[in-house]
Amino acid sequence: MPRIVVTGLGLVIANGIGVKNAWDALMNGKDGTAELKSFDTTQYKVHRACEVKDFKLDTVFENETTANTIHKYTYTAAKEALKDSGLSDITGYDRERFGIAIGTLAGELPPFEYLLRKATEDKANGFDMGVALTYPPSSITTLLSEDFGFEGPNMVSLNACSSGNHAIAWAFDLLYEGKVDVMLVGGGELIPQTEFTHFHNLKALAPEKCQPFDRNRKGLVIGEGAGIMVMETLDFASKRNAGVYAELKGYGMSCDGHHMTAPHPEGAGAIKAMLNALSAAKITYEDVDYINAHGTGTPLNDVMETLAIKSVFKERAKEIPVSSIKSMIGHTMGAASAIESVVSCLAIKNSAIPPTIHYETPDPECDLDYVPNGGREINVNCVLNNSFAFGGNNVTNIFSRL
Amino acid sequence: MNKRAVVTGIGVVSPLGIGHQDFWKNLVSGNSGIAPIESLDLSKYESKNGAEVKGLNPEEFLGRKGLRYLNKGTKFLGSSVKMALDDANLEIDEYLSNQTGILIGSSLGNFSQTTDYFHDIVRENPSNLSPMQSYDVALNSSINYASVIFKIKSFARTISSGFTSSTDAIGNALKLIQNEKADVIIAGGVEQISLDLYMIFYMRKMLAGTNGAGSEISMPFDKRRNGFIMSEGSYVFVLENHDYALSRGVRIYGEISGYGSIFAGSRSSDTSKRVEKAGNAMKRCINDAGLSPDDIDLINANGNSGKMSDLIEAKAIGELFGKKSEGIPVYTVKSALGESYGASGAMQTATALLSVNNGLIPPTINYERRDPECNLNVVSEKLEKEANTVLINSFDLSGNNSCLIVKKHE
Repeated sequence: MPRIVVTGLGLVIANGIGVKNAWDALMNGKDGTAELKSFDTTQYKVHRACEVKDFKLDTVFENETTANTIHKYTYTAAKEALKDSGLSDITGYDRERFGIAIGTLAGELPPFEYLLRKATEDKANGFDMGVALTYPPSSITTLLSEDFGFEGPNMVSLNACSSGNHAIAWAFDLLYEGKVDVMLVGGGELIPQTEFTHFHNLKALAPEKCQPFDRNRKGLVIGEGAGIMVMETLDFASKRNAGVYAELKGYGMSCDGHHMTAPHPEGAGAIKAMLNALSAAKITYEDVDYINAHGTGTPLNDVMETLAIKSVFKERAKEIPVSSIKSMIGHTMGAASAIESVVSCLAIKNSAIPPTIHYETPDPECDLDYVPNGGREINVNCVLNNSFAFGGNNVTNIFSRL
Repeated sequence: MNKRAVVTGIGVVSPLGIGHQDFWKNLVSGNSGIAPIESLDLSKYESKNGAEVKGLNPEEFLGRKGLRYLNKGTKFLGSSVKMALDDANLEIDEYLSNQTGILIGSSLGNFSQTTDYFHDIVRENPSNLSPMQSYDVALNSSINYASVIFKIKSFARTISSGFTSSTDAIGNALKLIQNEKADVIIAGGVEQISLDLYMIFYMRKMLAGTNGAGSEISMPFDKRRNGFIMSEGSYVFVLENHDYALSRGVRIYGEISGYGSIFAGSRSSDTSKRVEKAGNAMKRCINDAGLSPDDIDLINANGNSGKMSDLIEAKAIGELFGKKSEGIPVYTVKSALGESYGASGAMQTATALLSVNNGLIPPTINYERRDPECNLNVVSEKLEKEANTVLINSFDLSGNNSCLIVKKHE
């Protein structure tokens, strides 16, 4: 039975760029929320977001629109992850066995928005060659394949807020079947005004801050960034003496089949995703040390997730620390579960758990240990990472110490 | 031992008919689904043809409730899923609900509706837009809709990988069935004609008639070819664990037995490298099915009338099959239906399944002037032939090369 391990990590998030900076910021409870700068929010009731700050690209891209692209974040995080895993140079390897899977919610929508703002009369005038090349979501992996010389299977996962975990699950299967040796996986997102408006008009955006599981939580804060991991078979990693962060033990999927935007009220799909993940990982609820929650800070999600955790973890539900880093970096949508997967690996590696910040008032309906307001150093051997998307599209994965 | 994956239901929403029966009849008769595009104003542009879906009455498949909030692609996908489920005689009850997943390939999903919504945002006060205006704008909302109305609860996944999206979705579904992750998967692809789709191809001069010369006809492998014609539709399959299909005693259209995918790369202008990658993808797929090139009876080609892509495919087939490549029949449905982008692999899979079932290969229409550089045995007249093992090629010049094997059920 092949074992699948994580050997490299990369992060670009609102409170830190690079794994070390980002981890320190997360453990210190640093909030990445600030006034939204990438477009004008005058006409909205909400003006804050978790944008990446002080970002500098260390290269110049060819053939790309001069506006913002996700590629700048995925490239930067992928470069860090590959360096971390010792695969910056893949000369001599069979490149057709190196694949890429990236999740995104909106793809390269912001560069097009940039041009469309000036093309209010005729949408057709919003297209230029840069947009034509980046518009299909597959451009995200195509560009990474070319940046790093990977020639194996590629896919972009379009599964809203569980996109990253879907991509990781797809990569896990390819590695497990022995079709590939190495997978560069993760998620990337910018903040499109379209999604901001969508959440805003659904009244899902918090005006000031994201307060997962707090009684006065008012919604999510939209965010951006990228989280990338290098995954490979343990055999392949061992042969090249690569350091291992964690083993990806397995994943579980489910679909609520319930509603286009609201989660199932009792968390039926969430429960099933967690149970499927435990069963795929061949462990029980007794083995999990930390739950990296989906925890969006919306009234519905957090109650549903709490109920689901109680159902799966039974008498242990209140003992297990559950935290949501969305309190610090916002909801990065298609990138969220990938970023949280990276953080899950770091929790194992560093034996520490990042907090849920802005936790002020306990909610009788959310009565678990949410690691409020301060990081915690405890031995973490096994992490369960939840992602639940609009449409009830759920993927949970489980990482453990090798 | 891996489980086998068989197809028990086919749902088609195409420019050549709603339902696989009409679709097949039209293909075999040599009819074309290509005509001037009616849904877009293309008066300013030189390329005007496309293959649009006509005559779909979604109410027949989805009922009336909520229909007015759905966009075109969601109606296509929902209707084709319903057709496939009925065709497979599959009622999704509580048990099956938890055993059934949906896995759809679409390059753009509902991206054009998303950007339409943005266009509204910049022209109006965004706070005044109703949430129902964005009800069906997420890139994957068509799939979410299908999962909600058909009670699909095992999983829902959308794959976007350009021209190979639905090939990769069907390939992924095959693997999930082989490895017993699901018993039933609704797999396939959907793509819709929109201004956005038109513009991204038009700007890149990939459409027939945009290169300053030649007529706007889809003529794969023909010497006169000068680009592709875009197409829309939804093609989905009920893919089942073979044992489960046998236990239900249901008709089996065929087996999907192999899949392989390799990245081709776009920055390189090196044709020989692209030929090599296309060949390696075919090899990887044939090996995955436990076959050798000698076992292939028919190639269901990518051939989309692109000048360079058809040449690369022809050369790759020549190199892999050697002498045999001059005899092995090559069929491409894109001559009649154009390039359906993320839905093309599923469109091809539908024709391959119907081919092995009927012992018949439809004509590749418009094939008149042989291109000596594309030295293939292109089937230009309807051919009665028991072609039991079909290789499906799905190539993206700037992305994946992916292939599938469809076999007659034994």
